[in-house]
Amino acid sequence: MVKIGIMQKRMTPVIRLRAVSFLIALLMVAGCASAPAPSDPEAVAEFLQVNDPMEPTNRAVFSVNRTLDSAILKPTATVYRDFAPEFLRTRISNVLNNLRGPVIFANDLLQGEFARGVVTFLRFMINSTIGLAGINDMATALEIEGHDEDFGQTLAVWGFEEGPFLMLPLFGPSNPRDTVGLVVDFLIDPLNLWASNTEREFVPWARTGVAAVDLRSNNLEVLDDLEKSSLDFYAAIRSLYRQRRQDAISNGQGSATFPAPSIGQIQDNPVLEETDELSRR
Amino acid sequence: MLKRRDFIAAFSGAVLLALGVTAPASATDLEGGSEAFVKSLAEKAINSLASKDAERAERIQRFREMFTENFAVNSIGKFVLGRYWKKTSDDERKEYLSLFEDLMVVSYVDRFAQYAGESLKVTKTRGENKNTATVFSEIERPGGAKAIRVNWRVGTNGTIYKILDVVVEGTSMSNTLRSDFGSIIRKNGGKVAGLIVELRIKTTALKSE
Repeated sequence: MVKIGIMQKRMTPVIRLRAVSFLIALLMVAGCASAPAPSDPEAVAEFLQVNDPMEPTNRAVFSVNRTLDSAILKPTATVYRDFAPEFLRTRISNVLNNLRGPVIFANDLLQGEFARGVVTFLRFMINSTIGLAGINDMATALEIEGHDEDFGQTLAVWGFEEGPFLMLPLFGPSNPRDTVGLVVDFLIDPLNLWASNTEREFVPWARTGVAAVDLRSNNLEVLDDLEKSSLDFYAAIRSLYRQRRQDAISNGQGSATFPAPSIGQIQDNPVLEETDELSRR
Repeated sequence: MLKRRDFIAAFSGAVLLALGVTAPASATDLEGGSEAFVKSLAEKAINSLASKDAERAERIQRFREMFTENFAVNSIGKFVLGRYWKKTSDDERKEYLSLFEDLMVVSYVDRFAQYAGESLKVTKTRGENKNTATVFSEIERPGGAKAIRVNWRVGTNGTIYKILDVVVEGTSMSNTLRSDFGSIIRKNGGKVAGLIVELRIKTTALKSE
């Protein structure tokens, strides 16, 4: 028994990695979008820009995720949001945020963001002690504002490309870079390491579950609105995920650099009568 | 050789001078004007549109007026179609733009009702080119929740300002719509007619809510 216990201890992260990579390999071979004919360069450019060669598989996974969401996660998050007092929900959020401290700190340093690393370190020390294990976000009250980082962002800072779009089972929108990031963050997390070393496997599971409910409960309206107003919910999610990641990687400094509409006829059209464009072509 | 170099130096000096003299003045106008425009729009929107008491039909009507007056609806609609705009007939363009306006109005009208009690703080403004600026703002929420970063891309002809794009927490409305609509068009074999059919269904469903 003891022997098996030790085996489990050592093997768990490796097995998890293998499971994830097997899953990815399986998804890769399962279904591919057909590339447009090379005679249509605009279509080819668009195909490359959409960068979702596994779209049919991704859509299938997305639909399974949505079924699970509407059956389990969304109802749970709705009940949680509507019945748990805000006081409690805020503190649960605080604890979850504080637990991410060490991973954020490691990624701050790996990205060479030492000033931000100091902020993360200070926040973690303050909130873990006088904040009572992270229950109270004393650091923010002291105007030491937090931020998020993860290993996917670190890889991006190091120059790795995101790769094709990937819809992960349960975890949702991603890409190979962020999937690696997810695994690495999991493996270097001190709480998960401790849980794994002391055979408390339920700890990361419970934490992930609570984090999922917390995240979902904060995005109930946003996702409902998006689903309601978009024609292709999947395409909207794919676009939003990429934009959010881009924003996170640049620490919020990169927006307003993407293509945007322009007012073409403005010079010769002082009243901005835009319907003019129809006749002008 | 020397002469030529002198000429180049003098020429570039003159260009720099010209830019230096004119650019800051117009850039300041552009930035100041864009900022004032966004501020006054936010004030109007929060005061008049965020009231929950009005009937939905009336709120839709008010929102439509505000939207068409302050957003470059057709320019955005054209951008959203991307490369497919060229392949669209005049009749299709007309119907598409009218449905696009409908979709924006009916899907955002209820969202605005939730913005009561929030206030917009402009953090900075940056000129993008001679008739476009980005106004960076934070929308502060009641109850101490984290402020939302919203960037407004504003286009102008010098007197009239219109919003070209809204970027919320790094996500651009126009670019998201472009991906969404583009996917529908591709699904319909590259035909905008297919998008128009789906837009009709969507806007009818949203209006009758």
